[in-house]
Amino acid sequence: MSPITSSSPRDTLRFGRRLGALLRADDVVTLSGDLGAGKTCLVKGVAEGLGILDPVTSPTFNILLVHRGRLTLNHFDLYRLDRAEQLEDIDFFGSLESGGASFVEWGERFPEALPADHMAVTITITGDDQRTLELVGGGPRSESLAEAWRAACAAGGDGR
Amino acid sequence: MRVVLCFDTATERVAVGVGVLDGGGLEVLASRDVDAPRAALSVLLPTVREALAQAGLTVGDCRMIAVGRGPGSFTGVRIGVATAKGIARGLGVSLRGVGTLDAVARRAAGHVGLVGVVGDAMRGEVYPALLRCGPEGVARLSPDRVADPREVATEWASLQESVLLTGNGLAKHGGVFGEVMGSNAVFASEDLWAPTGVALLEALASEGSCEGVGPGEILPVYTRLSDAEERERASGGACAPPSGVAGPGGRP
Repeated sequence: MSPITSSSPRDTLRFGRRLGALLRADDVVTLSGDLGAGKTCLVKGVAEGLGILDPVTSPTFNILLVHRGRLTLNHFDLYRLDRAEQLEDIDFFGSLESGGASFVEWGERFPEALPADHMAVTITITGDDQRTLELVGGGPRSESLAEAWRAACAAGGDGR
Repeated sequence: MRVVLCFDTATERVAVGVGVLDGGGLEVLASRDVDAPRAALSVLLPTVREALAQAGLTVGDCRMIAVGRGPGSFTGVRIGVATAKGIARGLGVSLRGVGTLDAVARRAAGHVGLVGVVGDAMRGEVYPALLRCGPEGVARLSPDRVADPREVATEWASLQESVLLTGNGLAKHGGVFGEVMGSNAVFASEDLWAPTGVALLEALASEGSCEGVGPGEILPVYTRLSDAEERERASGGACAPPSGVAGPGGRP
């Protein structure tokens, strides 16, 4: 499937808003990409799309930030965890199945901890402001989410 | 008067009971059950206070603490057991453990026959427990463990007997049990799927003994051991794992 192309942080934010509008309870999305690729920018858009008013920042030091909106948004950054057992300490599995939508940065560190049916988003820096977002669904729900999101991004419009 | 305070936070329900235990006899003084998904930490102590107030007592009147040891939500079990240990140690009173699934089964105690409790273990798995209820009481037939729901359903279907199914794991996996067990699957109504303060007290009373143990001796039941603990166990290490976590077959 073709990737989504973003030409600016504004694009990334807008794509995030559209994803936010499509999310359902217990959806899990992993985010991979270098520093500055726009992972947090995308989640900011998702939060807006979920009607969340909190400021969204990177959970690098918090490990998990929770925002309440149409759905609860669980924003994880697993970079600072050393061992899979620590996932229990942060109630990772309980959070993923608590009826919210979860975004996981550095989820690739613990591949066995992720549900099979999650959408993996890889953001690649292709130019100063150019990014490509590659989507891979791991099961029926995440595949249909990826398909719907790609269609929503292609549809243009006013960004909402 | 031997006042017992007991609570369980292994499910999304905070269940608190206050009662008097005497030999095998039980008098329930108060019970407060509050739905608190992912909020056990903030809800537990206020609910304990309310239940004690309802009974006209304070925490200083309690002579024993009892806690649901799980299995259930990892974080929930941890909150319940840690709080119980803190209160018991602070009061200088003994502590007892109650099986969360046993307490859930108690809620169907009017039933005669097999009761299958299906606890939600997350990640597509369940905590199954099989019990037989009858006029002479409730007998537990299987140990605590974590398992694949279809495997459990197949096992219970092979009993060729009607099983009353209950437990919060049915929300996600009830369909599998219905499909595999057919007409032998009888579903308890959803309001019976979580423990209550009264059910905890009843499960406690059914064990006969009124004695607790030191707060350090009660271990939570997680059933999923960490890799480190698996290695420790395999190498024939300490009888109590360093984290104070009981695995399958672990002592109470």
